[in-house]
Amino acid sequence: MKLVKKGAEADIYLASWNGQTSILKIRKKKEYRIDSLDQRIRTLRTIREARLISESKSFGVTTPIVYFIDEKKCMIYLQLIQGKLVKDLPPNKIIKISAEIGRLIGTLHKNGVMHGDLTTSNFILSRNHLVILDFGLAQKTDKIDDYAIDLRLFKEVLNSAHVQIMEDAWSSFVNGYRTILGAHVTEKVVSQVSVIESRGRYANVI
Amino acid sequence: MLSLGIESTAHTFSCAVIEKNGKNVRILSDIRKIYRPPEGEGIHPREASRHHAENSPNVLSECLDKAQIKVNDLNIISYAAGPGLGPCLRIGAIVARSLASYYDIPIYPVNHALGHIELGKMLTGAKDPLVLLVSGGHTMILAFLSKKWRVFGETLDITVGQLLDQVGRYAGFASPCGPKIESLALSSRHYTPLPYVVKGNDVSFSGLLSATKRIIPKGIESACFSLQETAFSMMGEAVERALSFTDKKELLVVGGVAANKRLSDMLTSICKRHGCKFFVAPKEYAGDCGSQISWLGLLESSTKPGEDLENTFVKQSWRLDTVQVHY
Repeated sequence: MKLVKKGAEADIYLASWNGQTSILKIRKKKEYRIDSLDQRIRTLRTIREARLISESKSFGVTTPIVYFIDEKKCMIYLQLIQGKLVKDLPPNKIIKISAEIGRLIGTLHKNGVMHGDLTTSNFILSRNHLVILDFGLAQKTDKIDDYAIDLRLFKEVLNSAHVQIMEDAWSSFVNGYRTILGAHVTEKVVSQVSVIESRGRYANVI
Repeated sequence: MLSLGIESTAHTFSCAVIEKNGKNVRILSDIRKIYRPPEGEGIHPREASRHHAENSPNVLSECLDKAQIKVNDLNIISYAAGPGLGPCLRIGAIVARSLASYYDIPIYPVNHALGHIELGKMLTGAKDPLVLLVSGGHTMILAFLSKKWRVFGETLDITVGQLLDQVGRYAGFASPCGPKIESLALSSRHYTPLPYVVKGNDVSFSGLLSATKRIIPKGIESACFSLQETAFSMMGEAVERALSFTDKKELLVVGGVAANKRLSDMLTSICKRHGCKFFVAPKEYAGDCGSQISWLGLLESSTKPGEDLENTFVKQSWRLDTVQVHY
């Protein structure tokens, strides 16, 4: 077993599942959290992730295949996806791919799923196919506010990590999102994003 | 070069003198007077500003005496122009303007939050850190990128300082309540499950506030313990996410809540896991102080002249991520 990445939540290993190369995601115990809280968070997220990764496939969003989960050890065996993280693509490519990200997120929202962690490091471009990862914070919801939280996080990430292309990537994302959800809903969600932003500390002069 | 900094954004009125000779920086004095509201109550902006106005002459003269200088010796004066409480900010601005115009000294309005970060960097020697700013006014995770501090995560509603204060006030303590909650938490190991809300890199504390108030009758120690564990774990997770996304190799914690030992312990453990260096602002300079303003004034004076008096504003709402950094 080879450690591929120490993520925020989990350690990602290259492992073997039934003789097949796979990704093993383990949510290890966190020393800084007290046991009961830690156990609750890890178990809940492991189960949720496995369930929503599979469910998302049913409405045509590409996610890794879940091979096996062990909820006691908080482990998931997942299909290995070869490709490049969107975060590491050249800026003009990120602008283009943002439209596809918008379409995928639109599809999730249309089916009542929020992703909860929309950063550019949670998308892999694999043979011209975009794959979404990391459903640990995903949840079922029909609230406009929750969808707006997804969009706001994506905007925040563009604004902090991809400043130079922020405007273009954001409008590309919204365009993609609109093709799935239509102008009316998109307008509602985007204006809710502004509401959330205005809740931010010192966001507007009183 | 001698710089006077005046801080008056919230409960603290403080003046500090910093001396900079080339690379040598010394805090010559940092005098503070803190407004204490009655137990169970929060800051009343008018009362706080009255406190600041009454104490400003003494704090200023004590600060100059301790630094063993006269107003004439100062090269620059800076004041916290925001964000903060309007009436309080105005007192600091008035003191700064009066001195600057009477003695003809260049004046710099600076951002209070940026002051926390820059003073923390200077005192700890952190070079390119991910910053966790935790205080009564802020809960933000930031990193520096193309001339601005960019927000990687923040609270979606109240700050961690407000959370601790409001729980404390509800229980009848005098604010700021952080230290009292920290010491009470030490005498319990009983965890009551509370709402844990992390949304991407952001956190939300409002539900936690209501839920904590509800469990206070079952035992204040356990409530404080559960509150700290939940709130700090949430911030810990948000920090971890930002660390893993940005690949920063340093973490710096600044702001009043940085003085909390349990928070530091958690972040130390996180840094160990991510192979990253941990820096925390010294307790004495973690909270609001004149030094943060004085030092930021010095940095800004290296690239621009003082502000015209008619532009020496105060801005109650002045987001840190809108400040262009040129030094």
